[in-house]
Amino acid sequence: MSDTLTLPRRPRRLPPRLRRNPMAALALGLLLAIALAAIFAPLLTSFDPYETALRQRLQGPGNGHLLGTDSQGRDMLTRLLYGARTTLMIGCAGTAFGALLGGSIGLCAAFYRKLDGVLMRLVDVLLSFPSILFGLSLAAILGPGLDSLILAVGLSVMPGIARISRGAALSVMTQDYIESGRAIGLPDHRLLTRYLLANAYPPILTYTTLAFGDAILLAATLGFLGLGLQPPTAELGGIAAEGRAFLFIAPHVSTAASLLIFAIVLSFNLLGDALRDAGDRRAQ
Amino acid sequence: MPRPSSFPPPVTLSRLAGTLLLSCIATSALAQQAGVVTLGRTYDADRYDPQRSSSLAAAEVLYMVGDTLVTLSDDLKSVEPALAERWEVSEDGLTYTFHLKPGVTYCDGKALTAQDVVGSMQRWLTPDGPYVSTWKAGMVDSVTAPDDSTVVYKLSAPSSGLLFQMAQFNFIIIDPAEAEALGDDFGVTAFNGTGAFCFDSWQPNDAVVLTRHDGYDWGSPALGNSGPARVDKVVWKIIPEESTLVASLQAGEIDATYSLPSWSIAQLEADPSIQLAQPAASFRTHYVGMKTSRPNMGDVHVREAISHAIDQSAIADAIFFGTVDAADSYYSEAALDYDPTTDTSPFTFDPDKTRTLLEGAGFTMGSDGFWQKDGTPLTLTYYGFNSAREQAEAIQGDLRKVGIDLKVELFDSTAIWAKLREESYDLFQMDYPYLNAGDALNLYFSSASIPSPNRMMWNDPETDRLLEAGNTATTDAARSAAFMALGKHLHEAVLWKPLLLETPTVAFGPRIAPFSPAGISGAAFGTGLSLALK
Repeated sequence: MSDTLTLPRRPRRLPPRLRRNPMAALALGLLLAIALAAIFAPLLTSFDPYETALRQRLQGPGNGHLLGTDSQGRDMLTRLLYGARTTLMIGCAGTAFGALLGGSIGLCAAFYRKLDGVLMRLVDVLLSFPSILFGLSLAAILGPGLDSLILAVGLSVMPGIARISRGAALSVMTQDYIESGRAIGLPDHRLLTRYLLANAYPPILTYTTLAFGDAILLAATLGFLGLGLQPPTAELGGIAAEGRAFLFIAPHVSTAASLLIFAIVLSFNLLGDALRDAGDRRAQ
Repeated sequence: MPRPSSFPPPVTLSRLAGTLLLSCIATSALAQQAGVVTLGRTYDADRYDPQRSSSLAAAEVLYMVGDTLVTLSDDLKSVEPALAERWEVSEDGLTYTFHLKPGVTYCDGKALTAQDVVGSMQRWLTPDGPYVSTWKAGMVDSVTAPDDSTVVYKLSAPSSGLLFQMAQFNFIIIDPAEAEALGDDFGVTAFNGTGAFCFDSWQPNDAVVLTRHDGYDWGSPALGNSGPARVDKVVWKIIPEESTLVASLQAGEIDATYSLPSWSIAQLEADPSIQLAQPAASFRTHYVGMKTSRPNMGDVHVREAISHAIDQSAIADAIFFGTVDAADSYYSEAALDYDPTTDTSPFTFDPDKTRTLLEGAGFTMGSDGFWQKDGTPLTLTYYGFNSAREQAEAIQGDLRKVGIDLKVELFDSTAIWAKLREESYDLFQMDYPYLNAGDALNLYFSSASIPSPNRMMWNDPETDRLLEAGNTATTDAARSAAFMALGKHLHEAVLWKPLLLETPTVAFGPRIAPFSPAGISGAAFGTGLSLALK
């Protein structure tokens, strides 16, 4: 069967309004800079992030170390770059996993009305846990490690995404083209992806961007609480925790890591807000 | 010792924090009262029952509220009278007869009799009871009381270390009738002891309050004041955050503490209102144990190679800010029965020797910079405590520099004990308190202690033979000879890499008169008899 209906696939374009928002541009620029610095960390620093030098530890900025050294005498800037790499990776992978799972649950709940009750009660149960407690319990059960961190972060952001997806999909489901598609016998998977998802994605994308900030924060929190990765892997929450013991004598360790987490999360939140404004019809 | 250079002087910052904290807590009801000494610490015990606790937190309080039959001199090398004014040991080393001091009473006024000692021992040694550290009592045949002031302690095999062990807090004489009546609440809601202080109240994770035991005069004269206590009340205050504890001390909210983070010692030294003191002898050694049953780890050359790669003096100077000493033996050289001729050369920091030894053991350096043998890289797994993360990272860094890949896995103190019973790791890190060489050797190296606490899986007939000889020796000379020979033998086998020798540093504020901290079990305030206000 051929697709004879010509339907709007991209209802609104987001970028023009986004471009007019200077805060969003700034946030995007900052995020890109941090992401690029993290990806190309080995080219930006000549220090080994794992080479310890105990007798040079906890030195303030200077002496060849732009941001000083950490509690093992490693270059702080290098640790931060590699730490941002790990944290961003956990955030990205966790959010992607959460968005995939949450999006699927939300769309299915809207499309197959019989599943709605079961799926949404499940999501309600997950939503009723504070995300940090939920992430902590998961990481504690699964044991420390990259996989369990990604899973914990993903499952923590999933319920919110599932709710938003269902809401967005429900409003699309009332459109005539869905009814028409069904009438001409389009298979479910085609309707779900080409018509439902294609028209419901803007709020999902916006929410996912906002959830990104939460995911990064959760990843850093788990790292701070010692449920993160095992040494010597650098991770921003872990670096902040490591410096906490030395706040009085070497405040730069915790401060630098915390500021970097702050910058990443703030950028994601500003970007998410801008996306939401751009996508909000009433704001236009 | 490296000091941070480009930051405000530590004292200024901590003073600021102290001032901030003071403004928050100055109004608290615990503001210093006359006659009350407030001691700070970061942890609490699960209960205050000498027969069910093995923690320092319990020992600290129990030494103040209870007494043992004997105690140890300040250097931990000779046994001194406590509740027992004298004792005799039979020729065969099997029968100990203790004569109790007259006039000893419990806090509730009841007189202590030999029956109470018998009751205490019977409760502790109940088979399959929830009681800990019973091995310290030796192979007990019977404990009897021929009259009210005599206790006969019979063993089925001699135990040369028994009198030393008897100074430990597990041997504190309890009130057996109270223990029976309170059951699980014993040491929680009440504890009726014969100590210099009486157990008043306990709010878990907040404070333990002790009041002076009036009429107490049976303290050991060898340790200074024999009683009564010079202060009316001791409050053990729990402040979980180390930084807050330091600030509380500087603000005068607490009078003394030794749960100090290493970084704070230098700034407390610079504070004219704070005084620091250390016990004459107190032994706690940090070490890395090696599991001989694992691939490659059975080879003494590989173990020695690992030992030479770890720089323990850098750990002492940097991570502990020079407040501990680097160790090169399993137990202190000042401990009873340490042989000064022990060969400690396998424990020096010498990465060149690591290379030579690994080459000799058939390893080659791979293109990735790590040693390998028959195509398999030398990758080791290390288990440690979350709280010793910095030590773990330093050791990992040291091994990486010589080409040994170390996978570090850290656990919290509730999870690690089960993990340490497994066969899944090559190295583990730990610290332990001990009284003397015999105590340390008995705890760790007997084949009967496999797989825990003999986590090295050291199954060696010579070790078992010498341990037996030392334990059953009936003269000091014979015991000393056996333990010295065993110590040398085990050091040659390189089963541990000794890291650090830690002595607690007590910091006390301007209200406290100078005193000598105690050394047994690391409980530096001891019986509390030496605490006095200026």
